[in-house]
Amino acid sequence: MSEYKSGFFVGGEACNGRVLVVDDEPDIRKVVKMTLQKAGYDVLEAENGEKAIETINSGENRLMLDVMICDIRMPKVNGIEAIAYFRSNYPHVPLIVLTGFPDTDMATSFLRQGVVDYLVKPVEGEKLRSAVARAMEQRELARL
Amino acid sequence: MDSSDHTKVAILGAGRGGRALLDLLHQIPSIEIVGIADRDPAAPGLQRAQELRVPVMIDVTTLIGTQGISLIMDVTGDPEMEMYLRAHQPPHTDILSGSASRLLWELVQRESKLEAELLQAEKLAGIGSFAAGIAHDINNPLQLIMGLAENLAEEQNLTAVHEQAQDIIEAVRRTSAICRDLTRYSRRASPHEDVPVSLNGKLDEALKIARYASSFHDIEMVKRYQPGAAVKGNPDELLHVFVNLITNAVHAMEQVGGTLTLETHVLDGQVGIRISDTGSGIAPDKIPEIFEPFFTTKVPGKGTGLGLYNVKTIVNKMHGLIAVDSQIDQGTTFTLTFPKVESAEQGCLS
Repeated sequence: MSEYKSGFFVGGEACNGRVLVVDDEPDIRKVVKMTLQKAGYDVLEAENGEKAIETINSGENRLMLDVMICDIRMPKVNGIEAIAYFRSNYPHVPLIVLTGFPDTDMATSFLRQGVVDYLVKPVEGEKLRSAVARAMEQRELARL
Repeated sequence: MDSSDHTKVAILGAGRGGRALLDLLHQIPSIEIVGIADRDPAAPGLQRAQELRVPVMIDVTTLIGTQGISLIMDVTGDPEMEMYLRAHQPPHTDILSGSASRLLWELVQRESKLEAELLQAEKLAGIGSFAAGIAHDINNPLQLIMGLAENLAEEQNLTAVHEQAQDIIEAVRRTSAICRDLTRYSRRASPHEDVPVSLNGKLDEALKIARYASSFHDIEMVKRYQPGAAVKGNPDELLHVFVNLITNAVHAMEQVGGTLTLETHVLDGQVGIRISDTGSGIAPDKIPEIFEPFFTTKVPGKGTGLGLYNVKTIVNKMHGLIAVDSQIDQGTTFTLTFPKVESAEQGCLS
Protein backbone atom coordinates (compact mmCIF):
# COMPACT_ATOMS: atom_id res chain seq x y z
CA MET A 1 0.00 0.00 0.00
CA SER A 2 1.40 3.35 -0.94
CA GLU A 3 1.87 5.90 1.82
CA TYR A 4 0.09 9.18 1.49
CA LYS A 5 1.83 12.09 3.03
CA SER A 6 0.20 15.27 4.10
CA GLY A 7 1.96 18.54 3.48
CA PHE A 8 1.54 18.11 -0.25
CA PHE A 9 -1.21 19.83 -2.14
CA VAL A 10 -4.93 19.59 -1.69
CA GLY A 11 -7.18 21.46 -4.08
CA GLY A 12 -4.25 23.52 -5.28
CA GLU A 13 -3.45 24.99 -1.86
CA ALA A 14 -0.65 24.18 0.50
CA CYS A 15 -1.90 21.72 3.08
CA ASN A 16 -0.35 20.86 6.42
CA GLY A 17 -2.73 17.99 6.97
CA ARG A 18 -6.36 16.99 7.03
CA VAL A 19 -8.42 17.48 10.20
CA LEU A 20 -11.93 16.22 10.87
CA VAL A 21 -13.99 18.38 13.27
CA VAL A 22 -16.89 16.55 14.91
CA ASP A 23 -19.36 18.80 16.73
CA ASP A 24 -23.14 19.12 16.65
CA GLU A 25 -22.97 22.92 16.70
CA PRO A 26 -22.45 24.38 13.22
CA ASP A 27 -21.03 27.55 14.85
CA ILE A 28 -18.28 25.55 16.52
CA ARG A 29 -17.40 23.71 13.34
CA LYS A 30 -17.32 27.00 11.48
CA VAL A 31 -15.05 28.76 13.94
CA VAL A 32 -12.72 25.78 14.48
CA LYS A 33 -12.40 25.43 10.73
CA MET A 34 -11.57 29.11 10.41
CA THR A 35 -8.93 28.86 13.15
CA LEU A 36 -7.26 25.81 11.62
CA GLN A 37 -7.42 26.93 8.00
CA LYS A 38 -5.25 29.88 9.01
CA ALA A 39 -2.53 27.40 9.91
CA GLY A 40 -2.91 25.75 6.50
CA TYR A 41 -4.94 22.70 7.52
CA ASP A 42 -7.58 21.16 5.32
CA VAL A 43 -10.70 20.85 7.53
CA LEU A 44 -13.59 18.41 7.17
CA GLU A 45 -16.75 18.60 9.27
CA ALA A 46 -19.14 16.05 10.79
CA GLU A 47 -22.17 16.83 12.95
CA ASN A 48 -22.08 13.69 15.10
CA GLY A 49 -20.21 10.46 15.69
CA GLU A 50 -22.22 8.58 13.09
CA LYS A 51 -21.33 11.12 10.40
CA ALA A 52 -17.71 11.10 11.56
CA ILE A 53 -17.52 7.33 11.10
CA GLU A 54 -19.16 7.70 7.69
CA THR A 55 -16.64 10.39 6.74
CA ILE A 56 -13.55 8.43 7.70
CA ASN A 57 -14.84 5.35 5.88
CA SER A 58 -15.46 7.22 2.65
CA GLY A 59 -13.04 7.54 -0.23
CA GLU A 60 -9.53 8.70 0.42
CA ASN A 61 -10.23 9.84 4.00
CA ARG A 62 -9.44 6.37 5.28
CA LEU A 63 -5.86 7.16 4.40
CA MET A 64 -5.75 10.92 4.19
CA LEU A 65 -7.27 11.88 7.52
CA ASP A 66 -4.55 12.98 9.91
CA VAL A 67 -6.26 14.25 13.07
CA MET A 68 -9.73 14.23 14.54
CA ILE A 69 -11.18 16.84 16.93
CA CYS A 70 -14.24 15.54 18.71
CA ASP A 71 -16.95 16.96 21.00
CA ILE A 72 -18.51 14.66 23.62
CA ARG A 73 -22.15 15.70 24.03
CA MET A 74 -23.66 14.99 20.62
CA PRO A 75 -26.76 13.29 19.17
CA LYS A 76 -26.73 9.88 17.44
CA VAL A 77 -23.31 8.40 18.15
CA ASN A 78 -21.87 10.59 20.92
CA GLY A 79 -18.22 11.49 21.43
CA ILE A 80 -17.46 8.68 23.85
CA GLU A 81 -18.75 6.06 21.42
CA ALA A 82 -17.12 7.71 18.41
CA ILE A 83 -13.75 7.90 20.18
CA ALA A 84 -13.93 4.22 21.15
CA TYR A 85 -14.68 3.36 17.51
CA PHE A 86 -11.84 5.48 16.18
CA ARG A 87 -9.34 4.17 18.73
CA SER A 88 -10.03 0.57 17.80
CA ASN A 89 -10.47 0.95 14.04
CA TYR A 90 -8.11 3.83 13.26
CA PRO A 91 -5.55 3.76 16.08
CA HIS A 92 -3.07 5.73 13.94
CA VAL A 93 -5.36 8.81 13.77
CA PRO A 94 -4.61 11.02 16.79
CA LEU A 95 -7.67 12.35 18.62
CA ILE A 96 -8.26 15.66 20.36
CA VAL A 97 -11.30 16.13 22.60
CA LEU A 98 -12.87 19.59 22.54
CA THR A 99 -15.69 19.74 25.06
CA GLY A 100 -17.86 22.33 26.76
CA PHE A 101 -18.01 20.41 30.01
CA PRO A 102 -14.74 19.75 31.84
CA ASP A 103 -14.87 16.41 33.62
CA THR A 104 -11.67 15.20 35.26
CA ASP A 105 -12.64 11.53 35.36
CA MET A 106 -13.59 11.58 31.72
CA ALA A 107 -10.41 13.43 30.76
CA THR A 108 -8.26 10.85 32.56
CA SER A 109 -10.05 7.97 30.89
CA PHE A 110 -9.66 9.56 27.44
CA LEU A 111 -5.98 10.23 27.92
CA ARG A 112 -5.57 6.62 29.01
CA GLN A 113 -7.26 5.55 25.76
CA GLY A 114 -4.59 7.45 23.90
CA VAL A 115 -6.41 10.73 23.25
CA VAL A 116 -3.71 13.33 22.56
CA ASP A 117 -5.32 16.32 24.18
CA TYR A 118 -8.42 17.22 26.19
CA LEU A 119 -9.38 20.82 25.52
CA VAL A 120 -12.19 22.75 27.16
CA LYS A 121 -14.20 25.34 25.25
CA PRO A 122 -13.58 28.20 24.86
CA VAL A 123 -10.08 27.40 23.69
CA GLU A 124 -7.76 30.02 22.25
CA GLY A 125 -6.81 29.65 18.61
CA GLU A 126 -3.12 29.35 19.42
CA LYS A 127 -3.70 26.56 21.91
CA LEU A 128 -5.92 24.67 19.48
CA ARG A 129 -3.38 25.04 16.66
CA SER A 130 -0.52 23.83 18.82
CA ALA A 131 -2.60 20.83 19.97
CA VAL A 132 -3.25 19.99 16.33
CA ALA A 133 0.43 20.47 15.48
CA ARG A 134 1.40 18.03 18.26
CA ALA A 135 -1.18 15.55 16.99
CA MET A 136 0.22 15.92 13.48
CA GLU A 137 3.67 15.02 14.79
CA GLN A 138 2.26 11.92 16.33
CA ARG A 139 0.58 11.06 13.06
CA GLU A 140 3.90 11.42 11.28
CA LEU A 141 5.52 9.06 13.77
CA ALA A 142 2.76 6.51 13.17
CA ARG A 143 3.60 6.59 9.49
CA LEU A 144 7.26 5.75 9.96
CA MET B 1 -70.42 13.42 46.10
CA ASP B 2 -73.58 14.03 48.13
CA SER B 3 -73.34 17.34 49.97
CA SER B 4 -74.35 15.61 53.24
CA ASP B 5 -70.94 13.85 53.19
CA HIS B 6 -69.27 17.24 53.53
CA THR B 7 -68.18 18.89 56.73
CA LYS B 8 -69.69 22.34 56.45
CA VAL B 9 -67.38 24.99 57.78
CA ALA B 10 -67.80 28.74 58.30
CA ILE B 11 -64.77 31.01 58.64
CA LEU B 12 -64.95 34.20 60.66
CA GLY B 13 -62.17 36.66 59.95
CA ALA B 14 -60.63 37.15 56.52
CA GLY B 15 -57.24 38.57 57.49
CA ARG B 16 -54.04 36.63 56.83
CA GLY B 17 -55.22 33.77 59.07
CA GLY B 18 -58.62 33.50 57.40
CA ARG B 19 -57.06 33.61 53.99
CA ALA B 20 -54.52 30.88 54.75
CA LEU B 21 -57.24 28.72 56.25
CA LEU B 22 -59.38 29.24 53.18
CA ASP B 23 -56.55 28.11 50.90
CA LEU B 24 -55.88 25.06 53.01
CA LEU B 25 -59.46 23.92 53.58
CA HIS B 26 -60.34 24.50 49.96
CA GLN B 27 -57.91 21.73 48.96
CA ILE B 28 -59.68 19.15 51.12
CA PRO B 29 -62.50 17.55 49.11
CA SER B 30 -64.55 16.50 52.18
CA ILE B 31 -64.81 20.08 53.44
CA GLU B 32 -67.34 22.56 52.15
CA ILE B 33 -66.73 26.17 53.10
CA VAL B 34 -70.22 27.64 53.43
CA GLY B 35 -68.92 31.17 53.75
CA ILE B 36 -66.44 33.62 55.16
CA ALA B 37 -67.19 36.86 56.94
CA ASP B 38 -65.22 39.93 57.97
CA ARG B 39 -66.18 43.37 59.18
CA ASP B 40 -63.58 44.89 56.88
CA PRO B 41 -64.76 44.66 53.25
CA ALA B 42 -61.13 45.11 52.10
CA ALA B 43 -59.83 42.08 54.07
CA PRO B 44 -57.52 39.99 51.82
CA GLY B 45 -59.38 36.75 52.51
CA LEU B 46 -62.60 38.14 51.04
CA GLN B 47 -61.04 38.69 47.65
CA ARG B 48 -59.51 35.22 47.76
CA ALA B 49 -62.95 33.83 48.66
CA GLN B 50 -64.41 35.44 45.56
CA GLU B 51 -61.70 33.85 43.44
CA LEU B 52 -62.44 30.47 44.96
CA ARG B 53 -66.20 31.07 44.64
CA VAL B 54 -66.77 30.85 48.38
CA PRO B 55 -69.74 32.96 49.57
CA VAL B 56 -68.68 36.20 51.23
CA MET B 57 -70.86 37.58 54.02
CA ILE B 58 -70.76 40.74 56.06
CA ASP B 59 -73.27 39.63 58.64
CA VAL B 60 -71.94 37.04 61.11
CA THR B 61 -75.43 36.09 62.33
CA THR B 62 -76.51 34.99 58.85
CA LEU B 63 -73.32 33.02 58.33
CA ILE B 64 -73.41 31.07 61.58
CA GLY B 65 -77.11 30.44 61.07
CA THR B 66 -76.44 28.53 57.83
CA GLN B 67 -78.30 25.21 57.75
CA GLY B 68 -76.28 22.07 58.57
CA ILE B 69 -73.12 23.90 59.59
CA SER B 70 -70.85 21.68 61.70
CA LEU B 71 -67.84 23.85 62.47
CA ILE B 72 -67.29 27.57 62.98
CA MET B 73 -63.68 28.65 62.81
CA ASP B 74 -63.09 32.02 64.40
CA VAL B 75 -59.78 33.55 63.41
CA THR B 76 -60.70 37.15 64.16
CA GLY B 77 -58.65 37.17 67.36
CA ASP B 78 -61.40 39.34 68.81
CA PRO B 79 -62.44 38.42 72.41
CA GLU B 80 -65.88 39.99 71.85
CA MET B 81 -66.48 37.66 68.91
CA GLU B 82 -65.48 34.72 71.07
CA MET B 83 -68.04 35.73 73.68
CA TYR B 84 -70.73 36.36 71.07
CA LEU B 85 -70.19 32.93 69.54
CA ARG B 86 -70.33 31.24 72.92
CA ALA B 87 -73.68 32.92 73.57
CA HIS B 88 -75.10 32.15 70.14
CA GLN B 89 -73.64 28.71 69.45
CA PRO B 90 -76.05 26.85 67.14
CA PRO B 91 -76.91 23.27 68.17
CA HIS B 92 -74.68 20.44 66.76
CA THR B 93 -72.02 22.98 65.86
CA ASP B 94 -68.47 23.08 67.14
CA ILE B 95 -66.63 26.32 67.60
CA LEU B 96 -62.93 26.79 67.20
CA SER B 97 -61.74 30.06 68.65
CA GLY B 98 -59.32 31.74 71.05
CA SER B 99 -56.10 29.84 71.76
CA ALA B 100 -57.22 26.78 69.76
CA SER B 101 -57.60 28.88 66.64
CA ARG B 102 -54.27 30.59 67.28
CA LEU B 103 -52.61 27.18 67.50
CA LEU B 104 -54.28 26.15 64.26
CA TRP B 105 -53.03 29.31 62.60
CA GLU B 106 -49.49 28.45 63.71
CA LEU B 107 -49.84 24.97 62.22
CA VAL B 108 -51.24 26.29 58.96
CA GLN B 109 -48.35 28.71 58.65
CA ARG B 110 -45.84 25.99 59.38
CA GLU B 111 -47.43 23.69 56.82
CA SER B 112 -47.31 26.27 54.07
CA LYS B 113 -43.72 27.16 54.95
CA LEU B 114 -42.69 23.51 54.88
CA GLU B 115 -44.36 23.05 51.53
CA ALA B 116 -42.43 26.01 50.11
CA GLU B 117 -39.17 24.73 51.63
CA LEU B 118 -39.64 21.26 50.14
CA LEU B 119 -40.30 22.72 46.73
CA GLN B 120 -37.26 24.96 46.92
CA ALA B 121 -35.03 22.15 48.23
CA GLU B 122 -36.02 19.87 45.39
CA LYS B 123 -35.56 22.63 42.83
CA LEU B 124 -32.07 23.46 44.07
CA ALA B 125 -31.10 19.78 44.21
CA GLY B 126 -32.22 19.46 40.59
CA ILE B 127 -30.15 22.40 39.43
CA GLY B 128 -27.01 20.36 40.18
CA SER B 129 -27.94 18.14 37.25
CA PHE B 130 -28.05 21.21 34.99
CA ALA B 131 -24.28 21.70 35.19
CA ALA B 132 -23.39 19.72 32.06
CA GLY B 133 -26.16 21.32 30.03
CA ILE B 134 -25.33 24.83 31.18
CA ALA B 135 -21.60 24.33 30.54
CA HIS B 136 -22.38 23.08 27.03
CA ASP B 137 -24.75 25.95 26.28
CA ILE B 138 -22.45 28.65 27.64
CA ASN B 139 -19.10 27.35 26.43
CA ASN B 140 -20.25 26.76 22.87
CA PRO B 141 -21.17 30.41 22.24
CA LEU B 142 -18.01 31.41 24.13
CA GLN B 143 -15.96 29.32 21.72
CA LEU B 144 -17.63 31.08 18.81
CA ILE B 145 -16.99 34.48 20.40
CA MET B 146 -13.34 33.61 21.07
CA GLY B 147 -12.69 32.36 17.55
CA LEU B 148 -14.43 35.27 15.87
CA ALA B 149 -12.81 37.89 18.08
CA GLU B 150 -9.35 36.41 17.39
CA ASN B 151 -10.11 36.52 13.71
CA LEU B 152 -11.48 40.06 13.85
CA ALA B 153 -8.17 41.28 15.25
CA GLU B 154 -6.68 40.54 11.83
CA GLU B 155 -9.65 40.59 9.48
CA GLN B 156 -9.18 42.93 6.52
CA ASN B 157 -12.50 42.45 4.78
CA LEU B 158 -15.01 44.97 6.13
CA THR B 159 -18.07 42.92 5.17
CA ALA B 160 -16.65 39.93 7.04
CA VAL B 161 -15.98 42.17 10.06
CA HIS B 162 -19.61 43.28 10.12
CA GLU B 163 -20.96 39.76 9.77
CA GLN B 164 -18.72 38.35 12.45
CA ALA B 165 -19.44 41.20 14.88
CA GLN B 166 -23.13 40.45 14.37
CA ASP B 167 -22.50 36.75 15.11
CA ILE B 168 -20.74 37.73 18.33
CA ILE B 169 -23.68 39.88 19.42
CA GLU B 170 -26.05 36.98 18.72
CA ALA B 171 -23.86 34.60 20.71
CA VAL B 172 -23.79 36.97 23.69
CA ARG B 173 -27.59 37.27 23.56
CA ARG B 174 -27.95 33.50 23.55
CA THR B 175 -25.63 33.16 26.53
CA SER B 176 -27.37 35.82 28.59
CA ALA B 177 -30.73 34.18 27.89
CA ILE B 178 -29.46 31.05 29.66
CA CYS B 179 -28.77 33.01 32.85
CA ARG B 180 -32.13 34.75 32.61
CA ASP B 181 -34.06 31.47 32.21
CA LEU B 182 -32.22 29.82 35.06
CA THR B 183 -32.49 32.64 37.56
CA ARG B 184 -36.20 32.84 36.85
CA TYR B 185 -36.49 29.13 37.46
CA SER B 186 -34.33 28.92 40.58
CA ARG B 187 -35.94 31.80 42.45
CA ARG B 188 -38.33 31.01 45.25
CA ALA B 189 -41.91 30.86 43.99
CA SER B 190 -43.64 34.03 45.08
CA PRO B 191 -46.46 33.17 47.50
CA HIS B 192 -50.14 33.62 46.66
CA GLU B 193 -49.51 35.00 43.23
CA ASP B 194 -52.43 33.45 41.42
CA VAL B 195 -52.77 34.84 37.95
CA PRO B 196 -53.99 33.50 34.60
CA VAL B 197 -51.15 31.50 33.06
CA SER B 198 -50.86 30.49 29.40
CA LEU B 199 -50.16 26.76 29.35
CA ASN B 200 -48.58 26.67 25.92
CA GLY B 201 -46.12 29.43 26.80
CA LYS B 202 -45.31 27.81 30.13
CA LEU B 203 -44.70 24.41 28.50
CA ASP B 204 -42.27 26.00 26.04
CA GLU B 205 -40.48 27.78 28.87
CA ALA B 206 -40.23 24.49 30.80
CA LEU B 207 -38.84 22.78 27.73
CA LYS B 208 -35.98 25.28 27.61
CA ILE B 209 -35.12 24.63 31.27
CA ALA B 210 -35.48 20.84 30.96
CA ARG B 211 -32.90 20.83 28.16
CA TYR B 212 -30.25 21.74 30.70
CA ALA B 213 -31.17 18.85 32.97
CA SER B 214 -31.15 16.14 30.35
CA SER B 215 -29.96 15.39 26.91
CA PHE B 216 -32.69 15.73 24.26
CA HIS B 217 -30.52 14.05 21.65
CA ASP B 218 -32.39 11.30 19.85
CA ILE B 219 -35.71 12.61 21.16
CA GLU B 220 -38.40 13.63 18.75
CA MET B 221 -40.65 16.46 19.94
CA VAL B 222 -44.34 16.61 19.13
CA LYS B 223 -46.40 19.61 20.26
CA ARG B 224 -50.19 19.64 20.00
CA TYR B 225 -51.20 22.93 21.55
CA GLN B 226 -54.71 24.31 21.56
CA PRO B 227 -54.42 28.08 21.39
CA GLY B 228 -55.70 29.98 24.41
CA ALA B 229 -55.34 27.16 26.93
CA ALA B 230 -54.95 28.92 30.29
CA VAL B 231 -55.30 28.17 33.98
CA LYS B 232 -55.14 30.20 37.14
CA GLY B 233 -52.21 29.63 39.43
CA ASN B 234 -48.73 30.57 40.45
CA PRO B 235 -46.63 30.79 37.24
CA ASP B 236 -43.38 29.80 39.02
CA GLU B 237 -44.97 26.73 40.52
CA LEU B 238 -46.58 25.68 37.27
CA LEU B 239 -43.23 26.04 35.51
CA HIS B 240 -41.77 23.73 38.13
CA VAL B 241 -44.51 21.15 37.52
CA PHE B 242 -43.83 21.12 33.78
CA VAL B 243 -40.02 21.03 34.12
CA ASN B 244 -40.38 18.08 36.44
CA LEU B 245 -42.72 16.07 34.22
CA ILE B 246 -40.75 16.82 31.03
CA THR B 247 -37.45 15.89 32.70
CA ASN B 248 -38.91 12.61 33.94
CA ALA B 249 -40.24 11.86 30.46
CA VAL B 250 -36.85 12.50 28.84
CA HIS B 251 -35.04 10.43 31.47
CA ALA B 252 -37.39 7.53 30.75
CA MET B 253 -36.19 7.59 27.12
CA GLU B 254 -32.53 8.28 27.90
CA GLN B 255 -30.94 5.10 26.58
CA VAL B 256 -33.02 4.44 23.51
CA GLY B 257 -34.51 7.76 22.41
CA GLY B 258 -38.18 8.18 21.62
CA THR B 259 -40.96 10.71 21.24
CA LEU B 260 -41.94 13.39 23.74
CA THR B 261 -45.47 14.67 23.17
CA LEU B 262 -46.83 17.82 24.80
CA GLU B 263 -50.54 18.48 24.38
CA THR B 264 -53.00 21.04 25.68
CA HIS B 265 -56.73 21.07 25.16
CA VAL B 266 -59.76 22.97 26.37
CA LEU B 267 -62.98 21.05 26.83
CA ASP B 268 -66.21 21.70 28.76
CA GLY B 269 -64.85 24.29 31.14
CA GLN B 270 -61.73 22.27 31.78
CA VAL B 271 -58.19 22.55 30.57
CA GLY B 272 -56.09 19.45 30.04
CA ILE B 273 -52.37 18.98 29.62
CA ARG B 274 -50.81 15.71 28.52
CA ILE B 275 -47.09 14.96 28.74
CA SER B 276 -46.25 11.61 27.15
CA ASP B 277 -43.09 9.67 26.51
CA THR B 278 -42.36 6.40 24.73
CA GLY B 279 -39.81 5.34 27.32
CA SER B 280 -39.30 2.60 29.87
CA GLY B 281 -42.63 2.99 31.69
CA ILE B 282 -43.47 2.54 35.38
CA ALA B 283 -44.05 -0.89 36.91
CA PRO B 284 -47.76 -1.28 37.86
CA ASP B 285 -46.92 -2.00 41.52
CA LYS B 286 -44.91 1.24 41.72
CA ILE B 287 -47.63 3.52 40.34
CA PRO B 288 -49.46 3.97 43.67
CA GLU B 289 -46.17 5.10 45.25
CA ILE B 290 -44.88 7.61 42.72
CA PHE B 291 -46.56 10.63 44.33
CA GLU B 292 -45.36 9.70 47.81
CA PRO B 293 -42.62 11.87 49.29
CA PHE B 294 -39.10 10.38 49.11
CA PHE B 295 -40.12 7.73 46.61
CA THR B 296 -37.45 7.39 43.92
CA THR B 297 -36.27 4.74 41.48
CA LYS B 298 -33.00 6.56 40.92
CA VAL B 299 -29.70 5.53 42.51
CA PRO B 300 -28.96 7.14 45.89
CA GLY B 301 -27.76 10.70 45.47
CA LYS B 302 -29.45 11.12 42.08
CA GLY B 303 -33.09 11.80 42.87
CA THR B 304 -34.62 13.57 45.86
CA GLY B 305 -37.85 11.59 45.66
CA LEU B 306 -39.69 14.90 46.01
CA GLY B 307 -40.35 15.62 42.36
CA LEU B 308 -43.76 14.08 41.81
CA TYR B 309 -44.78 14.75 45.40
CA ASN B 310 -44.26 18.47 44.81
CA VAL B 311 -45.97 18.22 41.42
CA LYS B 312 -49.06 16.74 43.04
CA THR B 313 -49.05 19.28 45.87
CA ILE B 314 -48.96 22.16 43.39
CA VAL B 315 -51.61 20.64 41.12
CA ASN B 316 -53.95 20.10 44.08
CA LYS B 317 -53.37 23.62 45.28
CA MET B 318 -54.51 24.82 41.86
CA HIS B 319 -57.65 22.67 42.24
CA GLY B 320 -56.41 20.39 39.50
CA LEU B 321 -56.09 16.65 39.13
CA ILE B 322 -53.15 14.55 38.00
CA ALA B 323 -53.44 11.09 36.51
CA VAL B 324 -50.85 8.67 35.19
CA ASP B 325 -51.10 5.93 32.61
CA SER B 326 -48.06 3.76 32.03
CA GLN B 327 -47.03 0.55 30.27
CA ILE B 328 -43.65 -1.07 30.75
CA ASP B 329 -41.42 -0.42 27.70
CA GLN B 330 -44.29 1.43 25.96
CA GLY B 331 -44.20 4.73 27.78
CA THR B 332 -45.94 6.94 30.29
CA THR B 333 -48.55 9.68 30.03
CA PHE B 334 -49.25 12.20 32.76
CA THR B 335 -52.56 14.00 32.37
CA LEU B 336 -53.31 17.18 34.29
CA THR B 337 -56.78 18.68 34.44
CA PHE B 338 -57.60 22.16 35.72
CA PRO B 339 -60.65 24.37 35.84
CA LYS B 340 -60.61 26.70 32.84
CA VAL B 341 -59.88 30.39 33.31
CA GLU B 342 -62.77 32.62 32.23
CA SER B 343 -61.89 34.41 29.01
CA ALA B 344 -62.49 37.79 30.69
CA GLU B 345 -59.68 36.98 33.13
CA GLN B 346 -57.20 36.15 30.40
CA GLY B 347 -56.23 39.73 29.75
CA CYS B 348 -52.73 39.45 31.18
CA LEU B 349 -51.19 36.03 30.83
CA SER B 350 -47.98 35.03 32.55
